[in-house]
Amino acid sequence: MKTTTRIIMLSLLALAAAASPARAQSKSELTVALSSFSAETLDPALQGHNVKYYLSLMFDYLVGVTPDGQPSQAGGLATKWEPSADHKRWTFHLRKGVKFHDGTEMTSEDVKFSLQRATSKRSTTGYAGPLRTLIADIETPAPDRVVIVLKEPTLIIPTYLSRSLSTEGMVLPKKYIEANGDDVFARKPVGTGPYKFVEQAVGSHIKLTAVDNHWRIGVPKYKNVTFRLVSEETTRIALLRRGEVDVADISRERVKELEKEGFPIHMRKEEAIIHAWWILGPEGRTPPTKDKRVREALNLAIDRNEIAQSIFGGYAEPAVIPMGLTWAFKDVGFKVTPDMVYAYDPARAKKLLAEAGLASGFTLDVYAFQLPGFAEGKAFAEAIAGYWEKIGVKSKLIPVDYPAFRKMWVDRKAPGAVGYYNIANRDWIGAYALLEKQGYTPSKLNDTVNDPEIDGMIAQVMRQTDREKINALMRNIFTRLRSEHHGLPVVYVHSPYATSKTLGKYNPGTVMYDLFIDELARR
Amino acid sequence: MLRFVVFRLLQSLVALAILSVVVFILARATGDPLHMILPMNASEEDYANARQYLGLDRPYVEQYLSFVGRAVIGDFGNSIRARRPVIELLQARLPYSLKLAAFAMVVSLALAFPLGVMAAVHKGTGVDRAAQIVAILGQSLPTFWVSIVLVEFVAGRLQWLPAGGADSLASYVLPGFTLGWFVVAGMMRLLRSGMLEVLDSEYVKLARLKGVAEHRVVWVHALKNALIPVVTFAGIYFAILVTTAIVVETVFAWPGLGRLAYDGITSRDFPVIQAVVLTTAAIVAAVNLGVDCLYALIDPRIRYGR
Repeated sequence: MKTTTRIIMLSLLALAAAASPARAQSKSELTVALSSFSAETLDPALQGHNVKYYLSLMFDYLVGVTPDGQPSQAGGLATKWEPSADHKRWTFHLRKGVKFHDGTEMTSEDVKFSLQRATSKRSTTGYAGPLRTLIADIETPAPDRVVIVLKEPTLIIPTYLSRSLSTEGMVLPKKYIEANGDDVFARKPVGTGPYKFVEQAVGSHIKLTAVDNHWRIGVPKYKNVTFRLVSEETTRIALLRRGEVDVADISRERVKELEKEGFPIHMRKEEAIIHAWWILGPEGRTPPTKDKRVREALNLAIDRNEIAQSIFGGYAEPAVIPMGLTWAFKDVGFKVTPDMVYAYDPARAKKLLAEAGLASGFTLDVYAFQLPGFAEGKAFAEAIAGYWEKIGVKSKLIPVDYPAFRKMWVDRKAPGAVGYYNIANRDWIGAYALLEKQGYTPSKLNDTVNDPEIDGMIAQVMRQTDREKINALMRNIFTRLRSEHHGLPVVYVHSPYATSKTLGKYNPGTVMYDLFIDELARR
Repeated sequence: MLRFVVFRLLQSLVALAILSVVVFILARATGDPLHMILPMNASEEDYANARQYLGLDRPYVEQYLSFVGRAVIGDFGNSIRARRPVIELLQARLPYSLKLAAFAMVVSLALAFPLGVMAAVHKGTGVDRAAQIVAILGQSLPTFWVSIVLVEFVAGRLQWLPAGGADSLASYVLPGFTLGWFVVAGMMRLLRSGMLEVLDSEYVKLARLKGVAEHRVVWVHALKNALIPVVTFAGIYFAILVTTAIVVETVFAWPGLGRLAYDGITSRDFPVIQAVVLTTAAIVAAVNLGVDCLYALIDPRIRYGR
């Protein structure tokens, strides 16, 4: 028995030794733990937006942006771009001497191929649809020059192909994909980014290794970068404490605890707006929310400050404009004035309902679901339903999962019912793209607004080539969304990322679904 | 014996065929997977394109026949979410699940055998009660809670063992212990009651009268005959551990089959759901068959087909 005990003790000691924290992890390694990898696809054409966390290290964009989302001629494969006088032809001048990870040189043919692939029927990226509608042809007059010919004059093409939006602007290797096929490319992607693909274990991790010298960041600081999928937050924090990961997304409620322990917290300010809306019927808005006074009353009944404090731990700010993405506000010169701010005023809300002939209230269905990056979803739904109860609106909470809600929304099967989304903040063109789909009647499927005046302005933005006029249109759209109460802007949430104590300075930026890990690797 | 095995195999095939229809229908009843893979701003045209590209626009009967026709040769189609062959995902995940389940079974056997035997031998004493408390705690404490506590304290605070991943042998300890401890209670109690029955039997009394050493009576003569229900239990639980350790796999970031199933269900990934359910069913059927065969080996008195 003694021998057995000794063997067990020795085994445990050996295990403990083998499992000792990786504090001494080489500085050449960087590990990022994320709660979700989304679809885990490595082919940019198969998933937009939320795979950018890791794809933006492997692929360069045609148009680069700074971590703060501003177009940068130093950050992308195009060194400059200019429109023709009628804004129907955009010429992009490409950087010379850039090589793919397989050694072939990047040329205009690769850009053309990438864009055709991103807008093909197979593509499910974020803006494949709008680009398909816009692009008439792609010309390659020289290896370092590509011309995108459009069906309509527009200013927005460079932004669509930039790092600030989805994955359509990523430049892929034509020869490699044609020689090996889509499936091989999806398993062993090749790009021009500062990191090369090494391995992917679906459901576990994606490992990348640095190129020798990258045109943008030089010799990367970290030899290897690993993205680990760790769904459970307790585990991500334990890994951080053990020194096994360097960057991890955390919930707002764990911020103070980790700060006390000395872990630097990097906030992405106003990363998303929590925005709710009423599902339209087949013919548009339905009573009672067809009445503007009812929409205003439902807005006034919500205590946004309390929601920011209690549900989001103080890491949120009250929102004012329906679908009002604040990163776009500064681009178009939109200012939120004090009279636009929704006060918490249940008394006035009740008065408005009475004026609308609904003094005795009405029944309102509220769908309750969680979303990626919005774990507080159900608590949020319960909170707004609770506020509405106080003004006599009988809120019926309907727990569903998001796909079930989305079906009700796009099929218009539950007119007047309330749904919500955490919409990633983005610049003016991103905000425009959102409005074009969710606030524009011809988009049908996703529309939540149904306002002819707004429809007219949105249609003008697409064709307008004078930036000042675009800015004015965008300002007017935001103003009208607010004055007509076309939705329930509730809060802007800040998203925290914790880093190891030794990582040093880090700016996770303000570009949606992109943590700019490559900038962290810049020496 | 051979007739029995062939008969059970045929039974399993029929069950799998029925299951394939059920899972095909139920998977589609959960909703449209395109709502999960297409961006929020996707248009009707985007939906139509994706539906056509993924073959979801074909009639259900055609989709089913195509699925079954390919499944029999091990081709479960492509994952809608990950856009790669489902068989690749299964091949990548199944070994991790098998290894974790095996480790958990070793943990549970290592705990259940001494606890069960000691509890029976020392029936009604403090040892018996202590053994039962240890075992019952494993079953009554929620697996999620045990996992979180272990990650928070053993891995995060004390930093004795890894918090997640499947990189080393040490990574197996916390998830393996969590799963194994859950199984201990049932196994230990089965063993205890079986041992009590056997220890009271005539042949054990005779062995003692003949002067056979007590440890030999207990660990050789009695234990062997108390094993049959434990083997059944362990076999069934092994299959369950392989396929349903979703919570433990999630907390410990373990890339196993349970997580694959969970991701498949939440993203309406029909091919993955179908493949995981059928593979799981096949594993359960195979384990059950194996357990039945083991009966005959452990206890030659058992003869099938007579």
